[in-house]
Amino acid sequence: MTLVEPPAAVTEDVVARPRRPWRRRLVTVAAVIVVSALVGWLTLQWLTPHPYSGTVMQAPTAAPSMDGLVWDDGTPVDVTELGGELVLVYFGYTSCPDVCPTTMVSVERALDEIGDDVERVRVLMISIDPARDDAARVGEYVRSFDPAFRGVSGPVDDVERVASTYGIYFARDEPLEGGGYTMSHTSTLLGIDPDGHLRIVWPSVLDPDALAADITELL
Amino acid sequence: MKVLTGVMVLLAVAAMAFAVFQPVQVLPRLRLAPGYALVDQTGSTVTSEDGRGTISLYTFVPLDCGEECDGVVETMQQVGRRIATEVDLGPADFRLVTVVLDADPAVADVRAAADAAGATEDWVWLGASQRQLDNVVGLGFRRSSDPVDFRPSYAIVDGAGLVRGEYRYRTLTGDADKLVRHIGVLGSELRNRSPFNSFVYEAAHAFQCYP
Repeated sequence: MTLVEPPAAVTEDVVARPRRPWRRRLVTVAAVIVVSALVGWLTLQWLTPHPYSGTVMQAPTAAPSMDGLVWDDGTPVDVTELGGELVLVYFGYTSCPDVCPTTMVSVERALDEIGDDVERVRVLMISIDPARDDAARVGEYVRSFDPAFRGVSGPVDDVERVASTYGIYFARDEPLEGGGYTMSHTSTLLGIDPDGHLRIVWPSVLDPDALAADITELL
Repeated sequence: MKVLTGVMVLLAVAAMAFAVFQPVQVLPRLRLAPGYALVDQTGSTVTSEDGRGTISLYTFVPLDCGEECDGVVETMQQVGRRIATEVDLGPADFRLVTVVLDADPAVADVRAAADAAGATEDWVWLGASQRQLDNVVGLGFRRSSDPVDFRPSYAIVDGAGLVRGEYRYRTLTGDADKLVRHIGVLGSELRNRSPFNSFVYEAAHAFQCYP
């Protein structure tokens, strides 16, 4: 058996060709796939709306008037002066046994998470029990949760009008055996955006983390 | 670079196709419906909270206004019948709500009007004081609360208490047909929306894919 030497030209060709050309091609293809996936993912993140835990209204409706109501320092509430900040509005009352304090605590925890943005958020609670709550009393109540929270109250007719336009119903329950009474009321939290539009409504059970994320997005 | 451009163009085309062909339609979330506690045809108090989780079709009529009121009542009857048989609302219930525009009506008068309309337990007729009418109908639903200014009008409110549709003018499509179709769109969203596809519905809201 005779061994045949390869032709000289073929040997030179093999030696002259770059080593493992498929490797460079593979790296290029992989890089293109990775970059495309990354760009696609980032674009999707950018295009995908923030998953609000509250319900956002599309139509930019100006926040309804709060004429007739007063702040806890006695000055009238002018809703048009609330622009530039995100305003969280809650309708509750100071003798509220459960949902009002729970909501205030959730809001306070959410604000703890948003860092310096907290300077651009105002929280106010409007009493739906003006027979027992004047504005100063509401202010004292909400400041026990956070010194920056504000209280609002007013004559019952004005509170009824304002509450109704913010989608809130309230009614006095049957008297309690030991005296006093509780109130039934809608316990949603509402958000007026920095442009003065009533923009979002959160359900009564709030997750502070989700609320904080929503607040940051709205700012 | 070509790949990046391709991806961007593809996304832009997909977004435009979504907006044009509207594979998913939604009703807009217009604003909050008013809160209230009013008295129904049985003398019981009905509140806006009773409508949580229920799609409500509202209309507003004086107790006696002749043919125009008859037309509204007939539309409500038709919608009630057709929603029960033609539309799957998924987890939501459905109710009809008629707010009487006469201030402080006697419960017996409201009951008589409800009975004449063939109202069942899923169709509440509500009476209110003038102040409540001004708050709920005037400021809340943004219609005249004066019976003299009566015009047929309807509002769809979802189970979260948001106004999703308002109808104040007659169009070529009959009122009942339009209302049933739009309530069906709302039902479709409630039935099909899940955590996995919620962004598709949010995109439909963002692109205003309205019927």
